[in-house]
Amino acid sequence: MKHRRLLFLIIGLLLALSLTLAACGPSVPTPEAEEPEPAPTEVEAAPAEEEEAAPPEEEEEAAPSEEEEAAPAEEAGADPNALPRNETLYFNGQQWGSVVGWNPYSNNNNNAMTIAQQDNARVLMFETAYLYNMLDSQVYPLLADGPYEWNADRTEITFSIKPAAHWSDGTPVTAEDYAYTWATHVKYNTPTGAANIDYIDDIVAVDDGTVMVKAKLDEDGNALNPLLVEAYLSTNYFIQKAWTQTLEERVGNDATALLADPAEDVVYSGPYHKYFADDSKVVLIRDDNYWGQDASMWGSLPVPKYLAHVIFKDNAAGTTALQAGEVDVSQQFNSNVNLLWEQDGLPISTYVPDPPYMIGASLPTAFFNLDSPGLDQVAVRKAIAMAVDYPTIIANAMTNQSATFDQVPRSLMNPTEGEQALYDHEAVADLQWVGNDIEGANALLDEAGIVDTDGDGWREYEGENLSYVATCPNGWSDWQAGIEVVAAAGAEIGIEITSNYPEWSVYQTVVTKSDAPLPEGYDIFMMWSDGAGPTQPWGRIRKLMSSEFIGMSSNWNGNWGMYANPDADAIIQAIPAETDPDALREMYTDLVRIYLTEVPSFTLMYRPQSFHTVNETVWTNFPYEGDGTNPPVPPLNLMDGWSVAGLYNLELVNP
Amino acid sequence: MKHTLRQVFESGKFVSGFAIFVAILLVVTIYPLLVPEPPLRIIGQGTFFEPGIYVNVYDSISAPHFTLNLDEAAERRIAGRLADRDRGAILTWLVGVGIPESEIDIANTEQLLDQWFSNFDPTVRIPGMTNADRNYYIRLNSSIQGLLSTEDVIIAHANEETASLEAAGTIRPSAYVNVGQIPNVRILPLGTDNFGRDVLTELVKATAVSLKIGFVAGIIATTIGLILGLVSGYVGGFVDDVLMFITNMFIVIPSFVLLILISFSISQEQRGAVTIAVVIGFTSWVWTARAVRSQVISLRNRDHVNLSKLSGHSIAHIIFRDILPYIASYVVMALILQISSAILAEAGLSILGLGPKTTEVPTLGLMMNWAMIYQAHILGKWWAYLPVIIVIALIAFSMNLMNTGLDQVFNPALRE
Repeated sequence: MKHRRLLFLIIGLLLALSLTLAACGPSVPTPEAEEPEPAPTEVEAAPAEEEEAAPPEEEEEAAPSEEEEAAPAEEAGADPNALPRNETLYFNGQQWGSVVGWNPYSNNNNNAMTIAQQDNARVLMFETAYLYNMLDSQVYPLLADGPYEWNADRTEITFSIKPAAHWSDGTPVTAEDYAYTWATHVKYNTPTGAANIDYIDDIVAVDDGTVMVKAKLDEDGNALNPLLVEAYLSTNYFIQKAWTQTLEERVGNDATALLADPAEDVVYSGPYHKYFADDSKVVLIRDDNYWGQDASMWGSLPVPKYLAHVIFKDNAAGTTALQAGEVDVSQQFNSNVNLLWEQDGLPISTYVPDPPYMIGASLPTAFFNLDSPGLDQVAVRKAIAMAVDYPTIIANAMTNQSATFDQVPRSLMNPTEGEQALYDHEAVADLQWVGNDIEGANALLDEAGIVDTDGDGWREYEGENLSYVATCPNGWSDWQAGIEVVAAAGAEIGIEITSNYPEWSVYQTVVTKSDAPLPEGYDIFMMWSDGAGPTQPWGRIRKLMSSEFIGMSSNWNGNWGMYANPDADAIIQAIPAETDPDALREMYTDLVRIYLTEVPSFTLMYRPQSFHTVNETVWTNFPYEGDGTNPPVPPLNLMDGWSVAGLYNLELVNP
Repeated sequence: MKHTLRQVFESGKFVSGFAIFVAILLVVTIYPLLVPEPPLRIIGQGTFFEPGIYVNVYDSISAPHFTLNLDEAAERRIAGRLADRDRGAILTWLVGVGIPESEIDIANTEQLLDQWFSNFDPTVRIPGMTNADRNYYIRLNSSIQGLLSTEDVIIAHANEETASLEAAGTIRPSAYVNVGQIPNVRILPLGTDNFGRDVLTELVKATAVSLKIGFVAGIIATTIGLILGLVSGYVGGFVDDVLMFITNMFIVIPSFVLLILISFSISQEQRGAVTIAVVIGFTSWVWTARAVRSQVISLRNRDHVNLSKLSGHSIAHIIFRDILPYIASYVVMALILQISSAILAEAGLSILGLGPKTTEVPTLGLMMNWAMIYQAHILGKWWAYLPVIIVIALIAFSMNLMNTGLDQVFNPALRE
């Protein structure tokens, strides 16, 4: 009896163990070759329990589609769970959750390794005509051959295509492909189409190798926004016409179906493509027939054969993998990143060795709801902004991964040299508050007659205590910590500020609804601003200040506090057509002056375009400040815009 | 009653549990009187300052200086800035730039630094050197500048009129200050957290809040469980069926899942500490209800109850006078366990980010949550989370000890 019980216990334990192992099998990815060890247990356990077979089956379901794709590379034969370490570059912080599709027309692929049509477009699989470099604000030709040219009236852009450029199926990349891509964007009203249709009239093929982009014109015959037309060239992909037609046929010309198609058969021109993808990792493999090895482009293939991104549960898991050397390039917020080398002595580094460790590009900003009682007063807005302790936000919330406002005085520009040179620092120096100025803020409020008359410690405006809620989405830790500091500042100047963190799902719908006043609880709220890109800083300023977004029922652009100033609007509208640098500088200076005087919103910190931390256990020669590359390779994880050039410079630490 | 109490306090387990619990309560009440600082005040600019004594540098310059001639001072100073690992790295560098290894003696600090300063060039890349190595050498180079210097350091004021520096004093390498004579010394026994808050002050407040949550939730849960159990057990029949149907339904749903769902559906504005306590209370009464019911069922046919019935007493009278006293000891034990599990439940909820609002009050769970978000556990900043864990463990431990002690007193089967 006793023995039997023991037996049951052992069997039970074994079952439980096998269940756990089987359940863990697919979802606990170990990039190292240790994986096979638990695998046999899994197989043994499978016949014992029929239900058990379920998780492995799931994996098999995914497998066939992989095999089609992986078939040509079969001779390489690497198991995606045991990639050769010194041929694989590992990433983190990009891909969260499993990939939905590989469709360059759609915005819903959740495919962070290959699809991002943005200011610094991701060009590992699909390619743009030009690559933007955030470090020197220049664009460099990729599929295009040489620089683009405006016609005399600045209404049409012409560029040619590199003769060497060809698709993954071997056919050449032609102007017709580019024109057809645009036509498809328009026809099916894709996100790209919708975003550009107001500025681009048409894209046509002049001949096989020459593209002409025609701008939309205003009544006077001038391009409505030449800046956005230029930006299109480095933002949006070339997509093959033949494949697009196949796709259209498959979906029966239905727009929804076209955007929802996972596009496993997509034809691409870039150096990498899908090798493996499931809920545990995404692996790209190099296309050894990549056209870019031609001397007219890179002259060689990118160094790593595989690019792999393990899908981590959260930042902490990603950091642990980075520490262990299982991640080479980390695009995530690793708090106190400097401790990884100072304290732990790991071969980890950031683009800049000292604070702020990164190149700041965007300005996370606290917006004022200008309809809240009292916040329509400039004095109140400015007093709050002046009283905030920014050094603490930067030191604590961002763990010093942001330039301070002493280093880069506040304006509308990001800390890059190119943007800083665009306004007259002297002219607005008086307006650039550094924060922590309790005295100044109190004086400002007293002067404006906003005082505490009933002696309860809080100032009143029109008989009401000034009391606000500062908010940002729950779980966005650096912003939350920032908002805490803002709230603390209020108490110092007699303005009650409490913090509140709604879930992102709620927050985003409330904040982006710009056709009605914001509800209670959104007096001071955090949102982002644009980073670095070919239209910046104009694009960022527009999204911080332009009143054109007021009234949109779903406003993902900006100016969420609904600030309206006709003077600012006029300047913002005039900038894209202006080409004289002196005039531009004056216009930008005026905008900074208006912004710092009226304070419709205020920046809490600088944030990098991408976090970029590298571990040199296996690979080295990543970009760093002063690495001597010319043009300089920006720290954008070797995949965005010109930073893809970094893939060609990598070396093994131990070849 | 007196007799029962004496019995209870004779139980060693109960007394030790009680002592721990009272100690925690005392600290929670007395500490805020001694350190009246608001617990959420951000004092540190920077995250996770190590526990220790922080001496104001500015004040220590003007404080009286004493000369102590201690033998090992220079050695310690050098060891602090040039560890053995650094010496090894210098050796690697020197060999890398072509100095024969035989000419390098890493134990000879003077010679080593000499060789280092005459050969180091941040732009040189020795083979196999990564950028991380390069950064390390640059850091090392700046940290060992002036390491062997025996000269005084000059303190200077900036004269704004002449835009020059004026010497205001010197500091000898053998100068010491007496910490007692420095006006600004701050002891941070548990360092600071990711917000730059004093962890100890925050922890004490958090313990108080968590205990409050525990009490409120425990009392609610026990009260509900007790009432349902009493009614259901004594009245029986249809009422029992209905009440047990509800109770069983709640038993089937894991209470923590229910807790998560309810907390999630309450928006964060409303999610204060008391709200969380109420939510926890309303989701954790089921086992108490069942246990009380079964006890009542066994009591309901006792002679004294029947006698009471025959005497025409009302149901309420019977329940409260003839049944409740017999299960009182059990109820007290259940209450203690409910309190301890409510504190754990709050911690669990907060770790998931569903706890009370961050800004108003700290709770033990919130402290853990923030320590985790800022990766204290990965960076080895133990003081941000370990004390919290210990406090949670101590509370749960003391409550369970008390409970076991009571059990020994009241349960005839366990009585020694």
